[in-house]
Amino acid sequence: MPDNKLKIGIYELTGCAGDALLIIDCEEELVNIFKAANIEAFLMAKSDNNDEVELDVALVEGSVSTEKELEELRKIRKRSKALIAIGICAGLGGMQSYFLDDKDWAKNLKAVYGGVEMIHAKALPSKPIGDFVKVDYFLPGCPIGKEQFLSTFARLLAGNPPELFRFPVCVECKWHENDCLLNKNILCLGPLTAAGCGSVCVNHNLPCVGCWGPSEEANRTAEYKLLLEKGYDPALIKNKMANFSGTSITQFFARLKGETK
Amino acid sequence: MRILKLKKADLYRFLEVIYKEADIWAPQKKGDKFVFDRVDDFSKIELQTTRTIIPPKKIMVPPMFNMFDFNEAGYKEDFSHISKKILFGIHPCDIHGLLTLDKLFIQEYPDPYYMGAREKTLILGLSCWPDEHCFCKSTRTNIIEEGYDLFFTDLDEFFLVWIGSSQGDDLVKLAPDKFDENLSDKDIQAYIRWQNDKEKAFKTEIDFVTMPDLMELKYKAPFWQEAGDACLACGSCSMVCPTCNCYNVADKTFLGGKPGKRIRTWDSCTLPEYSEVAGGENFREDKSDRLKLWYTHKLQAYVSKYGKPSCVGCGRCIATCPVGINVKTIARALEGEEVDAFWKKMSREVTK
Amino acid sequence: MKKITIEHLARLEGNGGVTATIDGNVVTDVKFLVNEGPRLVERLTLGKTPEEDVNLVPRICAICTLSHKYAAIRAMEKALKVNVGPKVKLIRELMHLGEMVESHALHVFYLALPDYVGFPNAIAMASKFPFEVKIALEMKQYGNHIMKTVSGRYIHGENPVIGGFGKFPSRDELVWIKNRAIQFMPFVLKTVKLFAELPYPDVPESETLYACCHPPDKKYGIVGDEIILSNGDIIDVQDYKNLTNEFIVPHSFCKRSQYKGKPYSVGALARVNCLGERFEGEARKMYKKYFNARWTKNPLFNNAAQALELVYAFERIPGVVDEAVKLPDEPLVLYSQKDGKGAGAVEAPRGTLFHAYEVTKGLVSHTDIITPTAQNAEDIERYCYITAQKLLESGQEEKIKDRMDLVIRSFDPCISCSVHTVQVKRAPEEDWKTKIAALKTDVSPVIIGIGSPGHSDDAVGLELARRLRGQGVKEVWIEDEALEKSGAREADERRPLLFLDAVDFGERPGKITIMPLQHAAWNAVLSHRLLPLVTSQISFDQLKNSYILGIQPASLEDGEQISEPVRLAMEQILEQLKN
Repeated sequence: MPDNKLKIGIYELTGCAGDALLIIDCEEELVNIFKAANIEAFLMAKSDNNDEVELDVALVEGSVSTEKELEELRKIRKRSKALIAIGICAGLGGMQSYFLDDKDWAKNLKAVYGGVEMIHAKALPSKPIGDFVKVDYFLPGCPIGKEQFLSTFARLLAGNPPELFRFPVCVECKWHENDCLLNKNILCLGPLTAAGCGSVCVNHNLPCVGCWGPSEEANRTAEYKLLLEKGYDPALIKNKMANFSGTSITQFFARLKGETK
Repeated sequence: MRILKLKKADLYRFLEVIYKEADIWAPQKKGDKFVFDRVDDFSKIELQTTRTIIPPKKIMVPPMFNMFDFNEAGYKEDFSHISKKILFGIHPCDIHGLLTLDKLFIQEYPDPYYMGAREKTLILGLSCWPDEHCFCKSTRTNIIEEGYDLFFTDLDEFFLVWIGSSQGDDLVKLAPDKFDENLSDKDIQAYIRWQNDKEKAFKTEIDFVTMPDLMELKYKAPFWQEAGDACLACGSCSMVCPTCNCYNVADKTFLGGKPGKRIRTWDSCTLPEYSEVAGGENFREDKSDRLKLWYTHKLQAYVSKYGKPSCVGCGRCIATCPVGINVKTIARALEGEEVDAFWKKMSREVTK
Repeated sequence: MKKITIEHLARLEGNGGVTATIDGNVVTDVKFLVNEGPRLVERLTLGKTPEEDVNLVPRICAICTLSHKYAAIRAMEKALKVNVGPKVKLIRELMHLGEMVESHALHVFYLALPDYVGFPNAIAMASKFPFEVKIALEMKQYGNHIMKTVSGRYIHGENPVIGGFGKFPSRDELVWIKNRAIQFMPFVLKTVKLFAELPYPDVPESETLYACCHPPDKKYGIVGDEIILSNGDIIDVQDYKNLTNEFIVPHSFCKRSQYKGKPYSVGALARVNCLGERFEGEARKMYKKYFNARWTKNPLFNNAAQALELVYAFERIPGVVDEAVKLPDEPLVLYSQKDGKGAGAVEAPRGTLFHAYEVTKGLVSHTDIITPTAQNAEDIERYCYITAQKLLESGQEEKIKDRMDLVIRSFDPCISCSVHTVQVKRAPEEDWKTKIAALKTDVSPVIIGIGSPGHSDDAVGLELARRLRGQGVKEVWIEDEALEKSGAREADERRPLLFLDAVDFGERPGKITIMPLQHAAWNAVLSHRLLPLVTSQISFDQLKNSYILGIQPASLEDGEQISEPVRLAMEQILEQLKN
């Protein structure tokens, strides 16, 4: 009987494997995932992985940080109809792309590894996969959310693109009736951060650290100036904004540099 | 309409009696603010509260709920979030907020979810005292004539209790011995004095009569761009507004043969997706255009339709917007006055 | 040396693993590779606030996310002189136990068990062991549930912070966790029976040193301010480098000699070896019933140790909840300290995890993070080497791949590493020539001839050394000269040593093989009087860079004659070494 189930591959590049682990953590739903589609490759869950087959959808976690990974990514793209970046490492570069300047990165690489040439793969400054191949969709999060992943997966099976929240996490935060922390002069990145986590940090009385990456219309200039007005140190604000923004912060920093000159 | 007297100490006894009829929801502390929440301990009910973070619209239409389950065969409506509730401690401005929502969700576009919850919720209003952000006197929503089952005016030693509906009367009949029909002159004097003092306690006043014209005249004023540049597009102003009612729906499907769900969530016209149409075109790409829409709706459009603004003067936008874009500062800007707000400061800094 | 630094922060990826190289009858090389790209986490935390560090470092690994968070918090609280109350400590213990339950359940049932019952994976195993698979799933879910309840999320929850928690779990949530733990007990006891009675093969058996956190009050536990070793040594966590230094920092001659330059193991088996006598209740009964001498030397028993720790966790959780619900929620401890230095250690499910920081003017100025797998890497390589060599010697070469797989997986390095890790490679003929050429490109090696005269071919090393000297090759040492000269000059520390010796590895006479000196130190068959003496004298850096060039003798009988095949081999070696 011809099998018309979608062929799906799940891949991990450089990162904490949290997105793949979250898929494993779907537990009883995991069985449904395996039933509903042909999971051709998923290193964390199975050993009989097919690395040649043409895929309908490839889900890629992690950033590109070695030449070997870059090569692997290009191969995955070539044999996939659609490619989805899962998590902020794949989508934005993740915390490891903090050294935005290549020279800065090289200096730090040397400081950690003492100039020892790695035998297995040449290191590259960490970059989001979209810098190298076409990315059709991006599921943000560090890690991605269970519900977000499952509903996206179900939509993919029905031939629909993912439908994600496009507003900042503040909207969800208000749904949970939290008091705005910025109004208490606490450095909260909510207005800059994509919704989807359910405002979990503020629900726990803690400020948003921005781990879902920037929201579509993040108004960094206003947030930056607002925090300056509240007396925060510019370096601290910039660090906080950069921690989970990956390479997406580059333009803002360049503009800031231009303005402060 | 009957007005009764209830001893302070008898309030909890009365609530205990009516608690058997339905869950009581009342203002309780969350950090240093207040929220409406289900009461499981009467001592946690706050009587001297300012505005709750979110208005009681959340009880009629929760921020996120399932409208119906669906599969190939059809759909089945889901009203599971609706249950009989007694809402105690709701202030006049918020009762007016619900009356405003009634016009939309009952009269214009009958909404079975809203109507179902509204019918099952008894409104037990409570008097309040204005803080620096309250301006319900300006919107004439400081006094109520309808929209409640019982209304409690707190006169320190006792409550005056207005019975506003037969359902309210039924509640009183559950504990008739707690209520006193005989009001002395002294009691009435106390009420009049309280009313006069409260009138004088407002610190914020806005002239809403001029607003429709000013919105028209100042539609192209540069301050809109300044506010738009500072707007974080966080949607909070809409979430906390008692009369904002826009919502979005999304279908969620599941694996393993489970039915799909149509999820309804609160939306806001200040968010980028709101004015986007198929093909990716957006009618209000600029945040200043979205703010104009929001304020046109509050200060102008509703007035021309219903003769009053769709702002109830609760002050939530003032207490909430981190960059100070709110009915008060926008009204001041429309009036051509100095505005003391971050969004204005930020614009001065940029032009510097 | 390279490997340790690379691994320092890397999580193990699926295509990481071990490569074993076999030449003739000898395993010449075992390499535990990590193919993960560099993330420079220690560098990117510099200049950040302690709070940001605590946000960022759990992202090193999603599987041990809460262990990283907890270790970082312990280090920061030490550095910044923050003292938290008893409820905070209890709730932290609860989340830590949750992570252990989740990780151990996943590892023993899903990753280890299929190997022993003959299935390729857990899904396939479900047909014959539906009950085990179901219980494993429920235990894992339960662990996840605790982690989510306390930390706010399944993975990378931010609720645990320096000074306490953003929000405490409610009484109802805690009581639910307690009741569920009690329900699990009968199944957990069955789990121990299952894993303690598995037929673990004896091939990788070899003594090692174990290390883990030393909990206070003579209790079993998974945190501590000290480290305890199976030889009885105790090290303050603030001096953690005394334990770990030898492997990550070169030029630390004396510290390495404290443990005789030998690798050590961390993880569940290490904890049971060091602290097993402290178990109470059912865990104690189980420990008394099953613990035996094989547990002290066979890494495969780590699976049994993990099962035993599941009993400990399920017995401990109700107690933690009982104590916690009696206490009021504690407000976040605020601090004003801007400068300080501190290290923190916790037992991650797979072993001791160290975080150490220096904070200057409120910002992180130094970060050092040492993961359990980085510490185990040496022992993983060593046990793989022993496994391969012993199986090779007993003519079971075809078993090497699977058995090494079993050994690596038993260390529970990380889940994604636990699938297809092993590669067995035959070295090309005359591999030694390529290696020597490579060795000479850097600095010329010191050549050391060893052997015993008068035992025919056993003199080949000495004879070769004499002839090289005769041909004007400098830096050639013979026998005891190595003892006098090795380790004497700092300048020599990076210089490779190349021992020349007759080595009987059951090959055709005259066969030449090159093997790393450290492997010789692990293999009794290859030991020579001088080897342990010299290896204990040189730096670890130098040891890793040194080799033995072995020639298969035809005879070791008494006699002055070197046999013909060995003579031919000598000529080849002379040719390679003289220029």
